[in-house]
Amino acid sequence: MIQKKICLLGASSVGKTSLVKQFVEGIFNEKYLTTIGVKIDKKVVTLENNSLQFMLWDIEGNDRYNAFQERYLRGASAYIIVADQTRTTSLIEGLEIHSLARKVAKCPAILAINKSDLQPSWHWEDKGLEDYNDLFDLHFYTSAKTGANVDNMFIELAKLLQES
Amino acid sequence: MTSILNNVLNAMQQVIIEPVEGSLNLFKLVGGSCLWATELLPLSASQKVFSIDDNTPFLQDFLIDAQLIWNGSEDNRVRSGFWTEVVANNKELHLEAIAIKQDDQSLLIISNQTEDFTLRQSTMQSARELSLYNDHLIEQNEYLHTRILAIFNKPYEQENIITALTKAIENAGFAVLITKSDLTTIIANTAALHLFEQGGSSTHESSNPVDIIVQLLKNQLPEYERIIATKSSWDGELCWMSPPSTLKWLKVALYPVLDDLNEIKNWIIFANDISNIKYLVQRNEKSDLQDLLTQLPNRISFWQRLEKQIISNIPFYLLYVDVNDFRRHNEFYGHDEGDKLLIEVSGRIKSSIKTSDFIARVGGDEFAIILTDIDNQACCEGVVERILDCTREPFQTSELESFNVNLSIGAANFPHDAHSVEELMKFVDLSAYNGKRSKANSLQFYSQSMKDASRLIIEVEHELREAIKNDEFELFLQPIIDLELNKIVKAEALIRWNHPTKGMLFPDSFIAIAEKSGLIITIGKWVIDTACQMVDKINKMGHKVKISLNLSPAQVFDENLFPHLHACIKNNKIDPCLLELEITEGVMIDDYAITEKLLNKVRAIGVSVSIDDFGTGYSSLAYLKKLPLDFLKIDRSFVRDIVSDDNDKAIVRAVIAMAHNLNLGVIAEGVETQEQLDFLEQNSCNSVQGYFFSKPIEFSSFIMLLQNQKKKDFESHSS
Repeated sequence: MIQKKICLLGASSVGKTSLVKQFVEGIFNEKYLTTIGVKIDKKVVTLENNSLQFMLWDIEGNDRYNAFQERYLRGASAYIIVADQTRTTSLIEGLEIHSLARKVAKCPAILAINKSDLQPSWHWEDKGLEDYNDLFDLHFYTSAKTGANVDNMFIELAKLLQES
Repeated sequence: MTSILNNVLNAMQQVIIEPVEGSLNLFKLVGGSCLWATELLPLSASQKVFSIDDNTPFLQDFLIDAQLIWNGSEDNRVRSGFWTEVVANNKELHLEAIAIKQDDQSLLIISNQTEDFTLRQSTMQSARELSLYNDHLIEQNEYLHTRILAIFNKPYEQENIITALTKAIENAGFAVLITKSDLTTIIANTAALHLFEQGGSSTHESSNPVDIIVQLLKNQLPEYERIIATKSSWDGELCWMSPPSTLKWLKVALYPVLDDLNEIKNWIIFANDISNIKYLVQRNEKSDLQDLLTQLPNRISFWQRLEKQIISNIPFYLLYVDVNDFRRHNEFYGHDEGDKLLIEVSGRIKSSIKTSDFIARVGGDEFAIILTDIDNQACCEGVVERILDCTREPFQTSELESFNVNLSIGAANFPHDAHSVEELMKFVDLSAYNGKRSKANSLQFYSQSMKDASRLIIEVEHELREAIKNDEFELFLQPIIDLELNKIVKAEALIRWNHPTKGMLFPDSFIAIAEKSGLIITIGKWVIDTACQMVDKINKMGHKVKISLNLSPAQVFDENLFPHLHACIKNNKIDPCLLELEITEGVMIDDYAITEKLLNKVRAIGVSVSIDDFGTGYSSLAYLKKLPLDFLKIDRSFVRDIVSDDNDKAIVRAVIAMAHNLNLGVIAEGVETQEQLDFLEQNSCNSVQGYFFSKPIEFSSFIMLLQNQKKKDFESHSS
């Protein structure tokens, strides 16, 4: 089966681990537990004519304690930048990570705006999201908590990778 | 491998693996025999060679880095960083690999790092929860601050304001207090009452939240008086101790609400209990005397050091360094970039002082430095010059955008200026605040003249307030002549202050103070009102003359400017095409986005826009091309020597040609002679303004000018 390495990137505590957990195991844990280093999960995504195995690299969030490490992107078929819509700064940080990732990985990039079940930050709308969407191949509003759009995001990504 | 070494490896929870020579992906276990290693790499237990495959994808990927080390010619090593692997029964292993090349031997060491992992996770968990909490707090504070100001700025009835405010603050997750100008409470939300509830019954202190905060501010903040007197905002941490049972760390923010006359209407106070965070920080950082961000000593540490320094009774200089416009930088680039800037600034300053000097971060964007072994002003100036030099080099954002930073530095000497910690801090804070007015790099020593200058500004500010109340301003008009039509088509409105004792004052003697004090907004509104009334009167007399108004930077950034302008146009029922706004080049550069938004709006309703004093500021063709403009006014300094100076001739010709290419009209200012006029006419300048035609004159005289012009027109047509 064809394997595809997918990296989840973003600021800390935006919900990268929760998205993977929701997608792979279908569960959500309310308690936040910060990721250290990397954890890889696998899941087979079945499309109409084909199946792909996703290797999901859940990478520790980037912040002042943990700088972005480009080597984790080596061999990636795509990466997902995750932002938290209740925290505007996480979007800005996500875009910064995206610009760093762009320099080393020429693969498709997806924007996942997570925690869509919660009220967005008060000036979230001012940030001109439409402009940012153009920077990504696909973009989704997801909720790891309710599962909204999570499977859909990975399936759409699989379709995109199948086409390319 | 000897059994003793094996025992050590097992105790260290490590296994050593060696690549099989000549093979890219075959390995054998050469040391250690832990159960977890067998769970991770089952084939390794059989003493045979095994491969590392996609059952352990992280390790498989790390082999690429490892091969680079092993194939290199020198001794070297590379670490993989932590990763987590799930083995049988959902057991998680927290591992790290190190690839080593030593004396031509290639080795891969895998360590079970559960202990270190758990420790790091626990530390990072606290740090990230803290950071998350801070982010949310900042957003909530900004949101609520903006909302409360918006309520104050709306034309509500007094009782409706209270209802609206109560509604806005009640559900905030932190204490919010709104007071009168004298800091007596108007509204306190439930969170405020809870926060300041005191355990224990025997307390002599007031239980009123505002009283408690004010008392803490007075006791713990030498800047308190200056903040209140200068109507400044402040945020920082205060420690509230009230025996027997209260010890809380509070993060407090204090914001003024100003009225049209720039006088305090209300204070907004936010307070958060950050005792838990303090505890986490102390647990993580093992020190409550260090600033988390810059790693410099913090405010408490600084006070302790300053007290010791004073007790030693050896003369020294105290510097207070303030990063100008930091708040704006934060808003523009975001808080992370703000943090990055503070780290960089602190590093640069630290590198420019002696190791025996002491530097601390004492506020958001404020640093304090104790310069030891210095007892004269010249030496102190030398140090400050070094500090300013090292911060003159441009800074960079993460996106590699360059920008510059200016510092305001206040300086005071012990024992010459003050003898106590509180007084010294008060004086350097005041000095830095005074220097900050210039916006450029500045050093201000504490002095009597500084105190006098502050007093003078306060006096003029007071007089300006009276002038607004007593209607002492007048609007003069200076005609602008269209060279093709040869008639007055426009007039620039220029303000004069008819001072009760000093007579008629020109703007240069009071506009700067009006700008600094914020009174320019109210004065600007008066100018717009008056100009609209004048347009109406002129129009009713049968003349079609446009009036152009100068906008100060503060007005451009005032969100109420456009609604006010629009309302005045409507109320006076005038044609918006008869108004023009003049902005300077500096305003465009200050904030292009805001300027563009405003100009687009005013032009959409028909008001035209001109760039004033063109050529004296940072003329950027890019801005000229992008901004919605109609006219460009060539500064008088180019027109003055236009007849004799070939450079000025060339400049003016070039500016006219460029403006016409951009479809902008050109107005030349300061025309005083026929020769200047001839040159401008020959070079297709559209309009002129200057003493050759008329100085700025009172409204009635301007009307007479227009009537004379009309009479001449009529005579020339009838003859």
